[in-house]
Amino acid sequence: MRILALIAVIITGAILIYGTQDMPDWADPQSPASTHVSPRYIEKTLEETATPNAVTSVLADYRGYDTLGETTVIFTAGVCCILILRIRRRHRK
Amino acid sequence: MFDFIISKYNYWIYIVLMMIGFYGMIGKKNLIKKVIGMNIFQTAIILFFISTAAKRGGTLPIIEHGHGHEMQAIEAASYVNPLPHVLMLTAIVVMVSTLGVALAIVIAIYKRYNTLEEEEILKHKI
Amino acid sequence: MSLQSPALAVVIPLICAFLTLLFGWWRKGLCYPTTLVALSLSTLASLDTLRVVITTGTIRYHLGNWDPPWGIEYVVDHLNAFVLAIISCITFVVAVYSKKSVEQELPDKIIFFYTIYLLLVTGLLGIIVTGDMFNLYVFLEIASLAAYALIAIGENGAPLASFRYLIMGTIGACFYLLGVGYLYIATGSLNMADLSQLLPGIYHSKVIIVAFIFFLVGIGLKMALFPLHAWLPDAYTYAPSTVSALIAPTMTKVGAYVMIRIFFTVFKPYFSVELIPVTTILSWIAAFAMIAGSIFAIAQSDLKRMLSYSVVAQIGYIALGIGLANRAGLTGAVLHILNEVFTKGCLFSVAGAIVYKMGIRDIYQFRHLYRKMPFTMGAFVMGAFSMIGIPPTLGFFSKLYLILGSIDARQWVFVAVILISSILNVIYFFKVVETAYFEPRDLATKKEKEILKVYPHNGGGREEIAMDEVPLSMLIPILIMGAGILLLGIFSIKIISTVIQFAIPSGI
Repeated sequence: MRILALIAVIITGAILIYGTQDMPDWADPQSPASTHVSPRYIEKTLEETATPNAVTSVLADYRGYDTLGETTVIFTAGVCCILILRIRRRHRK
Repeated sequence: MFDFIISKYNYWIYIVLMMIGFYGMIGKKNLIKKVIGMNIFQTAIILFFISTAAKRGGTLPIIEHGHGHEMQAIEAASYVNPLPHVLMLTAIVVMVSTLGVALAIVIAIYKRYNTLEEEEILKHKI
Repeated sequence: MSLQSPALAVVIPLICAFLTLLFGWWRKGLCYPTTLVALSLSTLASLDTLRVVITTGTIRYHLGNWDPPWGIEYVVDHLNAFVLAIISCITFVVAVYSKKSVEQELPDKIIFFYTIYLLLVTGLLGIIVTGDMFNLYVFLEIASLAAYALIAIGENGAPLASFRYLIMGTIGACFYLLGVGYLYIATGSLNMADLSQLLPGIYHSKVIIVAFIFFLVGIGLKMALFPLHAWLPDAYTYAPSTVSALIAPTMTKVGAYVMIRIFFTVFKPYFSVELIPVTTILSWIAAFAMIAGSIFAIAQSDLKRMLSYSVVAQIGYIALGIGLANRAGLTGAVLHILNEVFTKGCLFSVAGAIVYKMGIRDIYQFRHLYRKMPFTMGAFVMGAFSMIGIPPTLGFFSKLYLILGSIDARQWVFVAVILISSILNVIYFFKVVETAYFEPRDLATKKEKEILKVYPHNGGGREEIAMDEVPLSMLIPILIMGAGILLLGIFSIKIISTVIQFAIPSGI
């Protein structure tokens, strides 16, 4: 079992490292991630959302729906814990 | 070759970290160790995403001279990419929630079997 | 109204989940009606979405009015709208069914049960309508967390089964997230439509290939594709009856939908069919799943466990349809999703009804059940017919299209596999039907006679077994699902010509 797990882990790691070969270099300002979608968030944040902090403007405005999902996840987890751990105390006296 | 290593090594570190967590999840028999493995795996993914946000020479994505000043041309290349940070703020919350539910289930298991070793629990069941 | 309906379908259950919790503290009895109102409104919104999509074509809904690659958008085409409609319908029907069963099995957890129920539905519908990769991950986690908790409150083995599901599900979700990360590094976008524009230029990049592999494994874990199915049977067996009836038809099928979406929309068919032979591999895995799942199912004597292995086998059918990657095959896959949703909903509801009334799950104790619960067993037989593929039930048509797809692809092996798997289905469903209908009554042991309330006073020593059906609030949903299997089968040609033929991704 341990051996199997180890083999699975090594294969997964090897595939992941194989994939990094074609990645843009670390901290490259010309990488697609830095040039395709994100520049607008920085350049237009003041104009469109009046917030100097770009992270805040993306979190709460551009991708605000994700944040709604995030709060829902927390709510779900809270109710899940109550559901799992709540015990009826009727029998104890 | 040396340039190649320099430009990629950070991804490899996160991948190694991920695989440590992954091994904990599937290789360990103790339930709490599995949960710890899960946490390492998820944290490594967070680090991986955050590292994609970096730009050489970039600073925090908070626009200087924001309010009350003349609108200046803002250079995107001088600020790091804000999107992965936002995604990971969401992902951190998701992962904390997963951790909470996992621990709640572990408590439920412990109450029932008084042990956290998977093999002992399976013996219990039969 | 119709402009907003895709968002409303998701948001109504979300808001009502909060309301259920609030009302529940005030008065416990309000939880069930609130849930029903929420799900019926959500179902109406989904059906309205389907109507709009059929009449006017794809809906693009920009959340917060930000343009797509920057903001999040909902994209609802024929495939989405169809899956949205069937999932919301089945969750509504199962909610109606849930009342008595939950009152019996989880009397002190009603408030939280219905809250989590609505959150699970929110998560599932959110996965279906979204057009954004990361948004899909968030809703996937909402649905998964809700499912872990609902399974964990089942009978004795449930917490451990749920924990294993959690570990496997989290690995699946993390792999999916890693795939999203790799795609983001290579393209800089998270929007599905935008990605499908950007990706063809860099199809040969190793990053993209690795991302695709991780999507395949991650979603394979979530939808319990054959070698990754180990978490499923325990989780579905030990869960409370209603939870099995809710999760078995929905979770894995939504996973199958996500797989179709990623294989043929985010990546173009050119990539997933020709460039790397992943669909060929998928169809072979699916063939193994169909045979192995059915063989495991035959070996079981617990009805719910048997049905759980049947889920594994049926996921194989859907994956085979995806793997064939031609028009007939994908039509079969989408039709089989519809078939699975209704049939598994029906069969697990029947299993729950038998547990509710008799407290038994072992199929060898089902003697004379047809006299005691004739309508419930009638629905079970209908579901079994559909699983086997007897015309004119829905299962016949989906299997027909899968066979046509295999013939189109010149894969005669798969035709044989579908037929063999159907025969294996006959064996394990017939085992149940035989015990419930044809077992000679003399063989009933003394103990079973007590259970069955045998009345020995009627007509020349012959025993009369009193009819003792489940309450109407359980029976009607079961009968609706049973009748649905038949009616949808009869009208399946119409369904294909109005919806499914447009749901096939372009380029196939």
